[in-house]
Amino acid sequence: MSPYFGRDFISFFPLFFSRLFQLLSGSLSWKDLAPDEIQVLVLSLVCISSALVGSLLILKKMTMLANSLSHTILLGIVISALLFSSGGVLSINFEILMAAALISGLLTTLLTQLLHKGLRLQEDASIGIVFSSLFALGIVLVTLYTRNTHIGTEVVMGNADALHANDLKMAFWVALGNSLAVILFFKEWKLICFDPSLGKSLGFRPTAFNLFLMLLTSATAISAFRAVGVLLFLAFLVGPPLSARLLTSNLKRLLFVSMGIGSGCSLFAVAASRHFLTVYQMSLSTAGLTVALVAITFVLFLGIKHWFLKPIRP
Amino acid sequence: MLMCFSAGIVGGLIFLQRRSLVGEALAHASYPGVVLSVFVASLLFPFSEAIVSVFVLVGAFATAFIGLFVIDRLEKKIQISSDAALCFVLSTFFGIGVLIASRIQTTHALWYRQIQSFLFGQAATMVDAHIYLYGGLALFVSLLFVVLYRRLELLHFDREFARTVGMNVKRIHGILHALFVLALVIGMRSVGVILLSAMLIAPAAAARQWTQRFDHFLILCGVIGMGSGFLGNVFSVKIGGEGLVLPTGPMIVLTATSVCILSLLLAPKRGVFFRLIRLWRFQLRCKQENLLKALYKGRRVALNPFFHFSMQAKGWIKGGELTTEGIREAENLIRLHRLWEVYLVHMGQPSDRVHRSAEEMEHILTPEIEAELNALLGSPKEDPHAQPIPRGEST
Repeated sequence: MSPYFGRDFISFFPLFFSRLFQLLSGSLSWKDLAPDEIQVLVLSLVCISSALVGSLLILKKMTMLANSLSHTILLGIVISALLFSSGGVLSINFEILMAAALISGLLTTLLTQLLHKGLRLQEDASIGIVFSSLFALGIVLVTLYTRNTHIGTEVVMGNADALHANDLKMAFWVALGNSLAVILFFKEWKLICFDPSLGKSLGFRPTAFNLFLMLLTSATAISAFRAVGVLLFLAFLVGPPLSARLLTSNLKRLLFVSMGIGSGCSLFAVAASRHFLTVYQMSLSTAGLTVALVAITFVLFLGIKHWFLKPIRP
Repeated sequence: MLMCFSAGIVGGLIFLQRRSLVGEALAHASYPGVVLSVFVASLLFPFSEAIVSVFVLVGAFATAFIGLFVIDRLEKKIQISSDAALCFVLSTFFGIGVLIASRIQTTHALWYRQIQSFLFGQAATMVDAHIYLYGGLALFVSLLFVVLYRRLELLHFDREFARTVGMNVKRIHGILHALFVLALVIGMRSVGVILLSAMLIAPAAAARQWTQRFDHFLILCGVIGMGSGFLGNVFSVKIGGEGLVLPTGPMIVLTATSVCILSLLLAPKRGVFFRLIRLWRFQLRCKQENLLKALYKGRRVALNPFFHFSMQAKGWIKGGELTTEGIREAENLIRLHRLWEVYLVHMGQPSDRVHRSAEEMEHILTPEIEAELNALLGSPKEDPHAQPIPRGEST
């Protein structure tokens, strides 16, 4: 029985923070985490990693590539599951998922490049073709292999209520990896986002960094897809940095504010979803709620900027 | 098939405007509309399939239009770059759709299933009423295109001119947007929300490879869309085998993209395959001509069998000796080379820098340019290095 059973929105928070404190001080073991707590932790970790990656993506105007990645990840998962599962047993574990991220990241980026540069198609059209065909292929494969059309939906929509501790571990590692990648190469990212030609003349390779960024993105997508599904992951990726971008034009602040927005939204969303369940007996998708909150934040920030802040002179 | 036809035509226009990914965003944005309207309609008229599907169309149309509006606003008012705006609208609208859907999921499982069929498309489950409804709408879209064709063409290629002629550019744009959203909504039932964008892009990208003309382009878009719709349906039944029907949407999309990739590779003018062949043939000719020059100048050249054969086939050499044809060709090349050198010097280049450029130009210059050069330079007899210029056939 979850300790959160019967809690409403307000009374969610005292319990959550007291249990979090217990957890950190050691009197509550990791195994006894309630589903709600796992949800909060996973969602905020996912939000943190996607906020980091998303800010860079937005600055580099590569979000549509991220969108295509979020679709092709399905194919990556299917292929690697087929490759690595032995004796017809579909086992999905950490290594396989990471391999999937790698495969789909590389495949998407390279194919898009090929269509755009090699076959001289418009860039957005080549993005569109690559991701939709790969996604379609993924769905067909899934359907053929499992004889079940339901999995596709699950991947697309995500299911935050079926999370367990393994997902937490994974989200943690990916968040750690992302933060390390951003902190270690902070100067390089800054350079490449704002002045790619200077970066090039200093000897960095923008294409290599682009590929690196895509790999980070696909790792993040993998860690997110079980919790929120590949499409809502996109909202996490784009929403918080866009909202933060309204208020600040400093890269460091942008990163921190968007991480804050993301994790705040996920905390409130879990609480709200519990609230709806308790008070109105309505079970809502937590991921959907989070996205709605992110959207509301964006509108709110827009209002703040419009009414309270002086417009920045061009 | 009609749906795919209209999607193809509209996609063609969008492709030309270089806004292919808008379709993707709007297709997702229509999802909450679908969900909401299934919800409302089923509450009001629980037993009538036809009314529910009309409601779905209206709802999807409405939210997709809102999405389009929001994207426009985000781009213009807040100066968010267009890709980020698209992504944002796409994912938040879809998220809200998911939120509402999850509300329905537990209480009204049947409706939920109905909604899910819009995600990947299920043409197989359509009944007669659907067919008339969607078919009629698709026809309507196509007909409207025929009626508006002239204006679209004008608007598309010369907006300023359209304005001066007195056309109401804004209104046409509005109609176009409405058509766009309508085509999306129609296509949704067959291909599904997620893959709809492929149906907009792939036929257009394929058709663009084959033609330069606007009318041909649009018709071709439609035909390709229709064809892949048909084939996709066939495949989805054939491959699935007994008991399992593959989702139609992905199959249609896969068919359309294969057509597209084939056209990218094989189209006669713009395809990669023929471009490579043209490149290769040009390189071959350059090599042959260089060998010919070397032979003409009396150098000993060890021809490998391939070049020996190919140059013999052109009639340039016979048994290791140049034929008269070969000599004439070689003289012509040298003439072009030296003429070009004279021309460059005439244009003010130092005479020791002109050889390399002429070495390339001698393969490219056409008889017309040769005649013009000759006239411009007054039929020179010597090049800048005091070498004689052979007399051309024309002079």
